[in-house]
Parts: sequence; C-alpha cells; structure tokens
Amino acid sequence: MTIKNQARAVVIGGGVVGASILYHLTKYKGFEDSVLLERTELTAGSTWHAAGLLPLFNMSYTVGKIHKNTIDLYNSLEKETGQEVSFRQTGNLRLATNQDRMDEYKKYVGTANTLGVPFELITPSEVKKLWPLAEVDDLVGALYHPTDGHVAPVDVTQALAKGARSRGGTIHLYTEVVDIKQKANDEWEVFYKTRDGEQGSITCEHVISATGNYARQTASMVGQRIPVIPVEHQYIVTDEVPELAQYREQGNKELPVLRESDAQYYLREERRGYILGPYEKGAPARFEDGVPETFGKELFPGDLERLMPHVEAAMKRVPSFSSAGVKDIINGPIAYTPDGNPVVGEAYGLKNFWFAEGFSFGVTAAGGVGHYLSELITQGDTDLDFNPISPLRFGDFAGRNYSIVKNEECYDHVFITHFEDEERPAGRPLKTTPVYDKLKMMGACFGARYGWERPNWFAPKGVEPKDINSFRRTNYRPYVAQECLAMRDSAGLMDLSGFTKFEITGDKSHEWLDSVVASRVPTKNGRSSLAYILDKTGGVKHEWTITKVSDNHYYIVSGAGMERIDEDFIKRNIPTDGSATYRNVTTQYGVFVLAGPNSRKILEKITNADVSNDAFKWLTQQTIEVGYAPDVRAMRVNFIGELGWELHHPIEYQNHIFDKIWKAGQEFDLRLVGIRAMESMRIEKSYRMPGHELTREYSALEAGLDRFIDMNKDFVGKKALQKQQTEGLKKKLVQMEVFGLQDRDTGPNEPIFDGEKLVGRASSGAYGHRTDRAFSMCYLESKYVSIGTELEIEILGDRFKAIVVEESPYDTKNERLRG
Amino acid sequence: MRVIVPIKKVIDSNMQIRIKADKTGVEDSGVKMAMNPFCEIALEEAIRLKEAGKATEVVAVCVGNQKSEDVLRSAFAMGADRCILIVTENKIEPIDVAKTIATVARHETPGLIITGKQTIDDDNNQTGQMISALLGWPQITFASEISLENDKIISRREIDGGAQKVESKLPAVITADLRLNEPRYASLPNIMKAKKRTIESATIEQMGIETKSRIKIINIEEPPQRKAGVKVSDVKELIEKLKNEAKVI
Repeated sequence: MTIKNQARAVVIGGGVVGASILYHLTKYKGFEDSVLLERTELTAGSTWHAAGLLPLFNMSYTVGKIHKNTIDLYNSLEKETGQEVSFRQTGNLRLATNQDRMDEYKKYVGTANTLGVPFELITPSEVKKLWPLAEVDDLVGALYHPTDGHVAPVDVTQALAKGARSRGGTIHLYTEVVDIKQKANDEWEVFYKTRDGEQGSITCEHVISATGNYARQTASMVGQRIPVIPVEHQYIVTDEVPELAQYREQGNKELPVLRESDAQYYLREERRGYILGPYEKGAPARFEDGVPETFGKELFPGDLERLMPHVEAAMKRVPSFSSAGVKDIINGPIAYTPDGNPVVGEAYGLKNFWFAEGFSFGVTAAGGVGHYLSELITQGDTDLDFNPISPLRFGDFAGRNYSIVKNEECYDHVFITHFEDEERPAGRPLKTTPVYDKLKMMGACFGARYGWERPNWFAPKGVEPKDINSFRRTNYRPYVAQECLAMRDSAGLMDLSGFTKFEITGDKSHEWLDSVVASRVPTKNGRSSLAYILDKTGGVKHEWTITKVSDNHYYIVSGAGMERIDEDFIKRNIPTDGSATYRNVTTQYGVFVLAGPNSRKILEKITNADVSNDAFKWLTQQTIEVGYAPDVRAMRVNFIGELGWELHHPIEYQNHIFDKIWKAGQEFDLRLVGIRAMESMRIEKSYRMPGHELTREYSALEAGLDRFIDMNKDFVGKKALQKQQTEGLKKKLVQMEVFGLQDRDTGPNEPIFDGEKLVGRASSGAYGHRTDRAFSMCYLESKYVSIGTELEIEILGDRFKAIVVEESPYDTKNERLRG
Repeated sequence: MRVIVPIKKVIDSNMQIRIKADKTGVEDSGVKMAMNPFCEIALEEAIRLKEAGKATEVVAVCVGNQKSEDVLRSAFAMGADRCILIVTENKIEPIDVAKTIATVARHETPGLIITGKQTIDDDNNQTGQMISALLGWPQITFASEISLENDKIISRREIDGGAQKVESKLPAVITADLRLNEPRYASLPNIMKAKKRTIESATIEQMGIETKSRIKIINIEEPPQRKAGVKVSDVKELIEKLKNEAKVI
C-alpha cells in the first residue's frame, strides 16, 4: 500500500494505545484520514505480552475516569467491529491481610463512589464463596470489583485497528519513523523508512507519539525529555491445574482475578491454569539508553529467583498453584514513569505534538486515553483534568538517571499501600534550597514536589523526623498542631522556595496579562492580587499571584508543581513581537514566609523598612533590605491567614536572611513550620488549592471564585460562566465542618451523602488546629449548599455528621491578615 | 537400565529470530532461551520409562557453554536423576556433540540414548545418527512411539507417507519425533529444588575431544518476506493468475 504524503494526524506506534487513538480520531470529522505508522507489527513491544487485566482500582480521579471509560468501550467493541476481544468480566478481588490495607480500600471507595465505579467491601467468608480454591483464614477482608476482568490485548488492538480502518484510517506496518520536524507554518513532517528501504514523509497537522518502549527516543526527535523508561515485568503461566479444572467442570464460573496486595501479586485463570504476576523488588529498568535496533516482539530471560517470595505467598493462598506445571515465564518490558501515571497531552511548548506514553497499565488505559485525547485534539477541549497525566508535570529535573530509580521504585510500589502522606525516597534529595542542610539539622521531615525538597513538618529535639504513614492520625500530627498554634500565637517561618516565579516585562505586559487572565490585573505599583486563567468550559487552569512591581514589570508566583504548566502556557501565548517578554526566575528567587502575630516585630528588627500597617498594607509589595541583603521583594500575602510577609529574595542571600530571621525570632517564639501545617491552615481559611479545589472539572463559579473573576471584560471561558450564571450552578464548593472524628481526619475525595444519596465529594480536608475543628472543602449539588445544611461524610468506611458552615471559619473577617 | 538424554539450549521457540548485523549468525545475547523442544520430548520419554519401572536412572547431558546450566536445571525440574555438563566455549558441530556423548556413554554404559531428532536452531538432524555410528549401536530415528519388552525395543517411526514399526536390541540410540509424547511442565517446587542440585561437570578437553570447525558459514539471511495476497474477482481470473503469474498449473 502506498503511503500518502498528507494526513490530518499521524499516530506513531501500533500498540493498544496507538490503535485506540487512531480508532477514536477517525470518529471525528476531518480526521477520518488519520494514519498510524508502526515500525514492526501491531502489538509488538509491550501490548502482545500484556496480561490483559482491567483493574478499575486507582487512587487518582483522572486515571480512574480513564479506566472506567475503557471498560465501557471494550464492552461494545466486539459488537461494533465483529472482532472477538475475549472480554471476561470475572470480577476482581483485592485481599487485605491488615488494617492499613483495608483502610486503603476504604479510602479508595470514596473515589470509586464519586466515579460511579461499582464495588463492595467484603468479609473473608464472602471471599471464600467467590474464590473457593483460596485460603482465607488470615484475611481482614477484601475489596471486590464485580465489573473488573480481563481482555485479550492482541484482539483488542486488532478490533481497534479494524474500527479505525472502517472509517478511513490507514495503518502502515514495518514503517519506522526516523525523524520528525515542524515546519515554519506549524505543520509537522514525519519522516519514515519502510522495511523495503523506501523513504518518505507525511505532512500533517497533529503528531501523536504512542511509542511505548521508544518514548524517550521519539521525544528526543522533537527535542523533548520525558521520564518514560520501561521496567521488566514477569508473569508465570501454568499448565492445567486439576483442582481448577474440576471446579470449572462442575459448572462454576471463571474465578475473579485475585490480587493479594500485601504479597504484591495478581493471579487469574488462563485455560484452566493460572497466570501469576508479581510486582517484585529489584526488577530492573530497561532501554534507558534506547531500545536496541533489533528488538521487536521479544522477551527477556525469566528470573524466577526474584519472584520466589511472591510465588510462595501465592502457594499458601492457593494451594493448588503449587502442583501446577510452569508452562512459561513471560518477562517483557513495560513502560513506567516516576509517579506511575502515564504521560498524556501536548508536549511542552510544541503545538500539536501529543504524547500518549508511559502506560504501565496500557490495556486498561487505552480506551479512555483514546477517547479523551482525541476529543482534546479535535475539539480543543475535553471533560478530563489532564494535569495528573500531563507531560508538563515533570520538568528538566526528570532526567535519565532519576527516571531509572524512580520508575524502578514505582514498579516496586504498584501494590505498596498508597498512603496519602507517602513520600517515596528514591532519587532524593534532588532539588534543594540553600537552607536545606540547616533545616534538616533543625528537624525537618522532607517531602518532594516537582523534585524540590520541602519540609513537611519539623520534629522537635528527641523526635525522629520520620513519617509513620497511615490513613489515620499518626506520629507527626501533634507537631503539625504545634506549628499551627505557633502561627496563631507567636510566629512561624516556612521555606517555600520551590514556588514557580516569572517576571513579565515590556510595553504590552499589562495588556497581555489582562488579555489572558479572567481577573483584574493590578494597576497600582506594589499591589498584588490573585488571578485565574480558565479554559473554555470555565474550569480553572492556572492560579497566579500577580504583583505589579513597577510600570511594565510584573512578578508572577504560582505553586511548586506548576512551573512547566505555566511556562508552557506563557510560551504559547505571549506576543512574539517582543512587546511583552517573560523570564522564568524560579531558581533565582528563594521564598520565606514569615507570619504570625509576632512577625512584624521580628521583621522590624532586621530591616530598615517601615513595616507598620500604615506603611505596608495587606496585599502590597515593597522591595526592602533584610540584614545586609538588598532587593528582597516583601509581599504582604500568605496562604495561611495570618499577619505576615512572603520574602522573595535573590537566592544567594538565602542563608544570610534565614539566620537573621531565626536569630531575631528567638525572643518572639518563632517556630519552623512545614507544608502539612500550611495545608491545615489554608483549609481553615477556605483558600482553594490548585489540583484540589481548582481543576478543570469545576468552573471558576462552582469553585466560588466570583470575586476574583471580572465579568466586565473578555476572557476565555466567559461564555461558559455566563451560561452557568443564567442557568444556575449544578454544584458548588462549600466549607463543611465534620463532627465526631476520633482516630482519623478528613481528606480529599471523600463522598458526601444525603441519606443514601451521593450528593458531593470532598476536594480537601484537614483538622483545623487553630480552631480545634475538623473541616472539609466539598463540591456539593447546589440544593445542599446553604449554611446549616446537615449531611454525612464517609471517611474510611464510616459516616460522620457534616454541616455546611460559613467560609473562612478562622478569622472570617480577615482581621489578622489586615492587622 | 540407565538412559542418557542429550540436551541442548536454544533460543525459545516463541521468540522472533533476528540475524546479527554481520550476518554470521543469529543474535542470542539477552534473548529468552529454553531447552530444545525435541530434547524435552526425549527427556520426557526417558522419565516415563523410569516411572513405568523400565529404566532406573535418567541422565541428562549437555554439551555447551557454562550458561547451558539453565537447561540442565530445567531437566532436573522435569525429573532427571543426574545432569552432566560438558563445558566448551568453542563453536561446536554435531560431530563434536556426538563424539562427546559417545564418550560419556562409554563411561556410563546406558541401555538407551534418547536424543531429539534435531535441534530447532541449526536443524541438522545428525547427532543421534552419529552417536549410533560412533558407538556401533543400532538406531531408531524419528520415533513416535516406543515400548520396551524383554531387552528389546519396539518402536513406531515416522516415515514419508506413513509409519513404520521396527524392533531393535539394546543398547540403542533413539531420536524422538514430535508425536512421541507431550512433555510435562515442571512445577514451581520442583523448579526451586532443581536450583540446589549438583551438576556434574567436565570440560570437553578433559573428555579428550578436540573441537574444530569443519563447516564455514558464509552468510546467514532472513527468508524473503511473504508478499500480501490479492483478492481475485472470479474463477476465471484465479485460473489466469495461477497459470501465468504463479505458474503452478
């Protein structure tokens, strides 16, 4: 078949993900002619040796939504295409042998509830009924997904290919992409070489990279770095097992997939035998320097030794497994990323170049990713928050060596209990601020965000700065409480140097900022304000603190994980004629937060600037000297709701400034404060957090940002907001107080009920130590949002009374902030 | 009666074979390896003879590099009683293997040597026959069924156009055909036990065998790619194509 030289979109890679993208793209008008290029055969790489499992269990809301969409597609695919896909909804059992694990399931149930994924929490005797060939005596319980199951990955890929072809899509096998170039008019040219040596190129509008093991190689063709490196995954296929065969011959249904998370393996039926897939320690990353030229549909030698602890656990759980003959040990490469989520979305700064890479559960994700990504490509928007899977969540810090250790760690953690307060140790510390060593000596227990080490909490003398992870109240809680109280009663100091920071300058800088944000841009020098950038549906994409430093000079600050997301947006939108330009100054400025009622007294001692309330008002900024350090941008803003300053300082003065503050603070009971205390305090103030309250799933109005949105100007998303204003909001963010908690606190993703009816979900939650009350920030159906409404919140499987309260329950009138 | 089964390690039959860039051979580094399937059949048959009380000991012998140990572990896991590795890092040909096995046989005095009919890497189909000649023992090639009766072996062998029933005295050499049996899969506990077993070992030089290449490989190439088929509209066109294009009628 001759390869045409023009197409609307070119998909690279014929695994299940690439095939699904082509399948979905061809559903859209104008995209029917899309082309897929595959270097060898469909499914070569990882799809062909995938175990085909479809687990809905996932702690991430975005990924959970993708998986759910996949199941719906696979249910109908056979009927649509006539291609058998062997979709068996056998159900899936996740066993728990301890309370932490059961807590994890109960926590997950919140996400499952809000996604509408069917599940049951069941007892050991119910497990025995579903899986009579398993021993259950040592179990605490299990999580049962009745709609989970497995599918034949090769058949699914063929079915997707068939569906795509029937609508006009073409697939070229043995056609390797050798280069990708963007033309001056933004079109892409994809250069290929066929097996017969034929060379050519396709010019297209969109390129989608779904190249699995080759992800980093493909990315480097367009100058990108993505942290996708495969890790070996093995599974054992057994011969027929007499006990199982007998059980099935008695007319019983196929057994559900069995997952013993605490022993890190899955076990499922395969032709009257078993497939056992462990996630073992020590599985090595592969292809970190590229896939060897010749690697096609191949496997690595099995390493049974590594699997033995899991095999022994499986033998205990399922005794008939021990007598089974081992037919095969499949050991193949599976793509991984440092956080286990795939890398999907438009590449950093590149128009119309899309990644769909890094799938460690590719068969489970393919359907949903094809759906949402194709909608995003063809329609410009889709109903999914891409941030958790965006290529932009990683920066340059995620290089080769970091990715190797993180991806191996991620593989090793597939079945490790996913505590919300977990901080994984591999590849750290990577990005540190100058005061890192000092903070460490002073008891900091660090977490990492976007590669930055940030103190989560500080251990007093004699206490080990180490988390004991739990879904319930745990070791660090009393110290977090003390940090909050210090902020309320004396003063606290935080290092938030990881903040993303930009400078915008030029004649048109105000005009440009005003054109992209939905908020008012400060007009007076030295004023700061919050500004939001929305998408077409009115959902929140960016939250920026914009400070007007001087005429034609603005300073933008946002969260630590937002650097790439923000810079990508700026790059794509800032005028190209130089009338407004930006500079990323993230690593040039450090940030301390000095706050609390004594903060002014401390600052007065170390600066000559007048920091009285008259001379330095709330929401203003001045450039001052601290000690001997000049050019410190002091801003009277903070995320905790106390009198205080953010001190943005040239990074080289950081140690000097820290020492000055710390020394001056001694007589005022200054205490070091970490991220976890900040989280508690911001929730007491109802401050919204990007990724939690602020996502593209909810509009700015639903998020209650009304006072920050300027409806008198034009901005992206305005129409959607106007429509919501006239039609009324379906859901809205509220502050709820939760009662009766003894051993646990509120957190994100918990479901809210009115009787048995699910009426909302928590986006964040924390115990407010300053107010001594438990709070949750929740999105509720509009009829429940009036103050005083009493509902129930489910936390770790139990229901608690929750009442809608006024926003900002701590210092509602902001008197402390203004004081 | 002792049974000797020669074993060879080859690239797993499910793997796609790729040719080395210099075209001198196939790429085997980092590729999944396994016991040659015909060797597995031979070993299975030996184990069955033992299980039936017709043999007393099954000895698996491998001639190959140190890494070939893996396949002998698999032989242990399937049920071999002893395993012998004759180590050589040299490139070896069927005659080298045959000489080595014959030497081992002179030491071990087996009643039967069962080999696979061929290995799936080089497809020589020579080793069994050569062993038989070197030892001066009768051979039954392509056996698809065997039974032992009163110091005699009765076997059905696969031949062109059908099957042949033959009989031979012992000791003898048998080469196993595909249909002789379906080999068992080792269970996990047996695989683990096999890891701890001792493999007897000697170098090929210690056996007094001198290896030297008699065959020069000039070039190895992939078979030509199959061309995609075409749909014909009617019988007439089909006949026309068969006659003029395919030239088969």
